[in-house]
Amino acid sequence: MARTDVELIAHLFRRAGFGATRGELEKYAVKGYEATVEELLTHREARWMGDDLVRRYHFEASGMDGSMDPSLPWLYRMATTDAPLREKVALLWHSIFATANSKVASPKSMDGQIKMFREHGMGSFKTLLVELSRDPAMIVWLDNQDNHNGAINENYGRELLELFSMGVGNYSEEDIKECARAFTGWTIGNTEYMIMRSQRDSIWPYGRIGWHFEYRPEDHDDGEKVFLGERGRFNGEDVVDIICQQPATARFISRHLYHFFVADEPPVTQWPYTPPRDPEAIETLCAAYYDNDYDIRSVLRVLFNSDFFRSSDSWYEKIKSPAELVAGVIRVTGDSQRPRLKVADQNVWIGDMGQQLLNPPSVDGWHQGVEWVDTGNFVERLNFASGQFGDVDNPGVRAMISRIASNGEEAISPEQLVDACLDEIGAISVSNETRAVLVEFASQDGDLSVGPAGPDEQAHGRIGDLLAMVASTREYQRT
Amino acid sequence: MSSTNIKESKRTDFLIYDRTMGIAAMEGRGLYFPSDMTLGANGKIYVANRSNHPVPRGARVTILDLEENFYRVFGTFGREPGQFIWATGLASDSNGTIYLSDIETNMISVFDAEGNYQSRWGTHGADEGQLDGPSGIAFDAEDNLYVVDSNNSRVQKFTRDGGFLSSFGSYGAGEGELDIPWGITVDPKGDIYVADWRNDRIQRFSPDGEFLAELGESGNGDGQFNRPTSVAVDADGYIYVADWGNERVQVLDSKGGFVQKLRGEATLSKWAEEFLNANVEEAEARARSNLEPVLDLVSGDPHEESAQVEKYFWGPVAVKLDAENRLYVTEANRHRIQVYVRPG
Repeated sequence: MARTDVELIAHLFRRAGFGATRGELEKYAVKGYEATVEELLTHREARWMGDDLVRRYHFEASGMDGSMDPSLPWLYRMATTDAPLREKVALLWHSIFATANSKVASPKSMDGQIKMFREHGMGSFKTLLVELSRDPAMIVWLDNQDNHNGAINENYGRELLELFSMGVGNYSEEDIKECARAFTGWTIGNTEYMIMRSQRDSIWPYGRIGWHFEYRPEDHDDGEKVFLGERGRFNGEDVVDIICQQPATARFISRHLYHFFVADEPPVTQWPYTPPRDPEAIETLCAAYYDNDYDIRSVLRVLFNSDFFRSSDSWYEKIKSPAELVAGVIRVTGDSQRPRLKVADQNVWIGDMGQQLLNPPSVDGWHQGVEWVDTGNFVERLNFASGQFGDVDNPGVRAMISRIASNGEEAISPEQLVDACLDEIGAISVSNETRAVLVEFASQDGDLSVGPAGPDEQAHGRIGDLLAMVASTREYQRT
Repeated sequence: MSSTNIKESKRTDFLIYDRTMGIAAMEGRGLYFPSDMTLGANGKIYVANRSNHPVPRGARVTILDLEENFYRVFGTFGREPGQFIWATGLASDSNGTIYLSDIETNMISVFDAEGNYQSRWGTHGADEGQLDGPSGIAFDAEDNLYVVDSNNSRVQKFTRDGGFLSSFGSYGAGEGELDIPWGITVDPKGDIYVADWRNDRIQRFSPDGEFLAELGESGNGDGQFNRPTSVAVDADGYIYVADWGNERVQVLDSKGGFVQKLRGEATLSKWAEEFLNANVEEAEARARSNLEPVLDLVSGDPHEESAQVEKYFWGPVAVKLDAENRLYVTEANRHRIQVYVRPG
């Protein structure tokens, strides 16, 4: 197996997933790059730990009451699924259609929104925007329950155009008002009672009741509207249709996909004034958007198979988001058989690193790229990753150590040990400087001796320490 | 006893709804993600509750009675003696001493009827007498304790002090094999019924662990199960199953024939009425709401349906019978217990 093949697959799984073990990478390298991309894009029932097991252990993640953090089941999915791109795409849309439980205060509805991204995230962008507009968490997040016939609330209409589809400078204030009119009557059932309990964080008498979308024709403004130059008695679906046709939408979504999967772009607020990092790539993605009726899966197919994605110039160019980092570490170090209390604690680390899932700081979402790393976050990232890889009781770490120590040699040199650790942790390639530091660290105790009975506790400790060092490298912290 | 012989039945009056007990509360009077209940020798009802991690509040055992008189709570979240992390099974011996299993700490904790901590036992592992994920627990007539050792795919029998007596079961889907089992009960004749959770069936064993029968199969039809959590058997041999994944309770006759299915019809408990009487704004908004909406749930997922229709069972984790054949259905996600009775 050529190392470059494995490394390219490793790059794909870091971006389109949450990393993979050396064994998984070899399996996919045999299958081939394009075939692996197709497998990742296929819409199928994912195999993962399972809702049943998560709910059996974490009752709070089943009932999703009151002020609970609804993100834990998602972390289990990210860490154990065999369809990681679906979760990655859900993360993408969550970062763009940023909705926060801090205001919505309905964990079940937040979970439902992610479920919707999982279902529709790689389908037609038009369908996705209609589903987003019907999503109860989004309705409450942007106050569309207060958007009435004759008394519009512009919040959803404004953000739909500014942050969710076209970007600033491509529509007028009048378009926002007309958009809002089209979405009057789109609300949630039992609005008064549900909003009251949410605002009071009332779990009484029997826990929260799930929300559902309700269309109230009597509260919908059915009059004629003029929207982006078109005239008609538009409802919400019509407005979404018009939005999806706009070149601005194609460019905006293509740039988001490039930003998320290929290389960091400046913050969205600067996009009207700063050209894309790779305009040709954006044009390629725009063409795929139109050629395939706004089908996101088709755009992603073009993206993952493109030279601009596959080129080693783009490897390790992005900083892992906290969710990517934590899910990726658990994926290769953890126990995917049963839920554990400590996974709930690990979920808290994601927030400590600056990305509390389902609670973005604002409707703008998180500032990504280098902003993931400040002094405090950096220490949290290193402590978490090195702590997990250095804990030789973790089942995944024990398995890695077992493979590293069973290379057929009685004595493993520091150089061999470093290369084996880089391979096992996910076919990471590091700079010469980084490798030299790792070799120096591994050389402190000379060659590693492995007896016929396999690695002893001392060998476990040494390899665990080296894995922890690798997890602290610049390359591991990036994607 | 084959599930393929199960007959369709339209019977709806074998059990009828009686009342709802409980209210959501993270401390004191009330329930919070209850995991199991047991009836004490003193006639009181003990309910084990979970917390909302990382917030430790909620974990405790609540003592009440059928009329919703509240007595006290005991136990807190933690790993010290008298504490528990994920309480999962609850049982009372003939003296009224309360036993609690913890699926996270792998221990059985013992409390007197007033809730005073007595002792605990259990070590993590797969050897004889060790535990990995203890779930349902039940006493036989001789006060031996059967413990569902879920991750070891077996049932172990202990003395009240934790002395190992015997075990049966191994991982698999064949006769007598188990896949992450959960609940357990001992019928009046001494036979043992196990909710074989991930095999979607109930298995019956003799008192010495010999396989006798299996009931049900995967599915959502009559007599089929989706992750059954708990089972109870009355003196006439009727079998009551908490069909957790289908969010319902099913009644089978002694031969496994389908008798009735219940979806839940909760009303306001005494404690719930007291809350709404004291919180008029919420009560009025509630009165103006349609709490039984017609839902367009594309997935047809009972879990989602139960999340939206408050009267339905949501997370039925335990079915228990009292001496008058009342059936108590504990619902984890609704923090309450629905009670059903047999007419006549």
